[in-house]
Amino acid sequence: MRRLPWLPIVAVGLIVLAALAAPVIGLADPVAMDVAHRLAGPSAAHPLGQDEYGRDVLSRLIWGARTSLGIAFAAAAIACVIGTILGLVGGYVRGVAELLAVRSMDVVLCFPPLLLALLVVTLLGPGASTLIPVLAIVYLPSFTRVAYAGVLSVRGHEYVTAMKVLGAGRLRIMTRTILPNIAGPVLVQFSLAAASAVVLESGLSFLGLGVVPPAPSWGLMIGAARGTMVQAPLLLLWPCLALTVTILAMNALCDGLRDVLDPHPAARRASWFSRFRRVAAPVVPEPAEPGTVLDVRGLTVAIGDPGDGKLAVRDVSFHVREGETLAIVGESGSGKSLMSLSAIGMVPAGVEVSGGTATMEGKDLLALPAAELRKLLGDRMAMIFQDPGSSLNPVHRVGSQIAEAIRAHRPVSRRAATTQAVTLLRNVGIPDPERRAKAFPHELSGGMRQRVMIAMAIANGPRLLVADEPTTALDVTIQAQVLDLLASLKRDSGLGLLFITHSLPVVAEIADRVAVMYAGEILEEGPTAEIFADPRHPYTAALLRSAPKDDGPAPEGIPGTVPVPGDLPAGCVFAPRCDKSIDTCVKTRPPLFDIGPGRASRCIRWASL
Amino acid sequence: MEWFVKRLGISVLLVWLVATIVFLAIYLVPGDPAELLLSQGGAAPDPAIVEDLRDQLGLNRPVLEQYLHSMAGLLRGDLGYSMMDGAPIAGEIATRLPRTLELIGAAALISVLVGVSTGTLAAVGAGGAFDRIASALAGLGLAVPVFVVGTVAILVFAQSLRLVPAGGFVPFSQDPAQHLILLLMPAGTIAVGLSATMFRVTRSAVLEVTLRDYVRTARAKGLSFRRILTRHILRNALIPVVTVLALNLGTLLGGTVLVEYVFNWPGLSGLLVDAVNGRDYPAVVGVVLVISILFVTLNFVVDVLYAVLDPRVRHG
Repeated sequence: MRRLPWLPIVAVGLIVLAALAAPVIGLADPVAMDVAHRLAGPSAAHPLGQDEYGRDVLSRLIWGARTSLGIAFAAAAIACVIGTILGLVGGYVRGVAELLAVRSMDVVLCFPPLLLALLVVTLLGPGASTLIPVLAIVYLPSFTRVAYAGVLSVRGHEYVTAMKVLGAGRLRIMTRTILPNIAGPVLVQFSLAAASAVVLESGLSFLGLGVVPPAPSWGLMIGAARGTMVQAPLLLLWPCLALTVTILAMNALCDGLRDVLDPHPAARRASWFSRFRRVAAPVVPEPAEPGTVLDVRGLTVAIGDPGDGKLAVRDVSFHVREGETLAIVGESGSGKSLMSLSAIGMVPAGVEVSGGTATMEGKDLLALPAAELRKLLGDRMAMIFQDPGSSLNPVHRVGSQIAEAIRAHRPVSRRAATTQAVTLLRNVGIPDPERRAKAFPHELSGGMRQRVMIAMAIANGPRLLVADEPTTALDVTIQAQVLDLLASLKRDSGLGLLFITHSLPVVAEIADRVAVMYAGEILEEGPTAEIFADPRHPYTAALLRSAPKDDGPAPEGIPGTVPVPGDLPAGCVFAPRCDKSIDTCVKTRPPLFDIGPGRASRCIRWASL
Repeated sequence: MEWFVKRLGISVLLVWLVATIVFLAIYLVPGDPAELLLSQGGAAPDPAIVEDLRDQLGLNRPVLEQYLHSMAGLLRGDLGYSMMDGAPIAGEIATRLPRTLELIGAAALISVLVGVSTGTLAAVGAGGAFDRIASALAGLGLAVPVFVVGTVAILVFAQSLRLVPAGGFVPFSQDPAQHLILLLMPAGTIAVGLSATMFRVTRSAVLEVTLRDYVRTARAKGLSFRRILTRHILRNALIPVVTVLALNLGTLLGGTVLVEYVFNWPGLSGLLVDAVNGRDYPAVVGVVLVISILFVTLNFVVDVLYAVLDPRVRHG
């Protein structure tokens, strides 16, 4: 929960206090005229001067606050009570009650608010006693809708069902169980309605259709001061200022309340934008072995400010060769996606690479200027993601999204790119590709969408393909088809595949080599067959035991959870969950031991496992 | 297509409901319109004259007959005659409505240009100096009521600086330049609040869309920043922006009352205020009906626009 908006609370509180205290703070009579001193400037008796009838401006200002706020709060309160009841009943009882209580509000919403107010004023005549019901009607639908929406989202929850099972009556459930849960949005709506009612009241009074003179109201004061604005501009200024400051404070209060009560915090920063401006001088990295498409060394990624020391990825090194699949495997939260995205320069918002190099074709991706990196992304290296449904832009046709990837890197015409897109769709096994190219993403099945993503990724013949859990969102048969497709692509084009997954069966099927990641570190690495047959780290062994098998023993879970960055154990990161742990494991963090050709383990007891 | 017909049907139904409610409202209110109209001086009117007026207005006929009569009139575009001067209301509305629509259109144009561009810039540099300043200004723009903006604008630009006339109206055909100059102040006044609204929606929509997976895909494709921003982020952020704009334009249909009054712009609202002041029931009913019908129509147009902008809606 965020901090309460104290500044606006104090400001609104002071204004309300002044309005309440108007009769007792010794103000001049707000309606006493003194025509001899009309438009007189500030004096000891009249600190803000006198108006066109010689009335005291300060007194009228404060009494005006009383009128405006009184009307606004009364109207908002009535609308709030009636609207919330209608919404509650409509949402909880449903049926006819819903139709009458909620749908009838749609008709009220057919009238623009000010117009509705004018219609009612015509029928009932102007005056404060009319304004309250008028404004209450105007704001009624918003409360009904808020309460109704709240009930609909709350009514299915277990605690409501629990109350029902316990035999509580409808009234009791509505008032005791549901109401407190929708109180937040209703409160926000109340402050919104009150602020907006102040504006509407002053507007109607300004037109002469609201508060009836000589009663003081800010709208009336502004309207009257218009006639003398050349001689006495200050007369116009005071009520304008009072009105604006009041509304500013009330709006700020609404925003503050919403921030405190809204469970979905708004996006505050879009920090990856800044990455487009990066122009750091590229460091010339050590040359990689021939045949290596990506060589990552010592990659370290910090969450938030690098100075905070929350390192989500620590000192990770690996490489991917041509025509080879390296699988990065680990539980959720092990940092495998973050590490892979960062390694190819796609650093997500809110994190920073704080060390290491990632070499591709002689360039360090982590130090490359944004413009240079952009030339490689989508061309020499490409990505496919976990959820093809959200990874495709919903408003563009899939063919044009593929063509866009081609045209970002090749000087071809739109038509040629579109033709190429159809060919690519055919190559990834999409039937009737001409027609499918014209489809929107939501018109395709999940497996089909992932094929589209793959077609887009291979459009420019990349040397490296990073696949981040590409089959997790798909059902098992489609999963197998997509894996087959990736395997054949790799075979035919010789690209290097970096495959991120938490599924060991998938690793067994597709990977040549495996790197096991845990809490931001690689704990074990080696050829797939060797790792599966002879794991040399207790974590790998535990993962293998936890994977379901067709025959053999039932899978075993790993007790405990992955530690979060910033709260890591002092020694081996896996020690708290490890059944082989000894004293040294808890005290010192082990390095990655070279334990054979192409194999490494971060366990000090690797030899004795 | 089926969706379109269904949506159109709902709109027609709403228009009918609105017309019925406005008709009933006049009936449900205590007091006799004819008597109210004639008793404006304060003294009780002569019952015979009241009876005459009731006859003339058709108030003596059964409610159902009056209802059917006015609905039939509505279908023919006949809104009755003003009780003030006997002029046909539909004709008066036809003269004034375009002026109000012009005002709203000009205000919307300014607001979209200002709000969407600054909102995008603020989102791109979120947390930076421009974002902070623009967000603060938008907060202020939302807080100042429209008639305060208008009145202060007259004081500053017309009375003190003498840059523009304080208000008024000249038909475009008569003097195009002067027409546009006179349009600028009221349109600009409405645009202060509306630009602030547009700014806020654009800013938050851009920030939200930026976090979507498909924007990450666009980055992974190696697209330029400009292309990601226009084709992927703004194109999707447009959907909430258009919704909020349309909602606000609808509110403006009745909300120009204050601005037209401040700047002496002879639009529909002036007619409405005069009619309300003079208790001219047929005129009030006519204006309210026309505006509400426009409001419903606008909502329908927005829904159609929605389907154009967001292909998912077409199938939903």
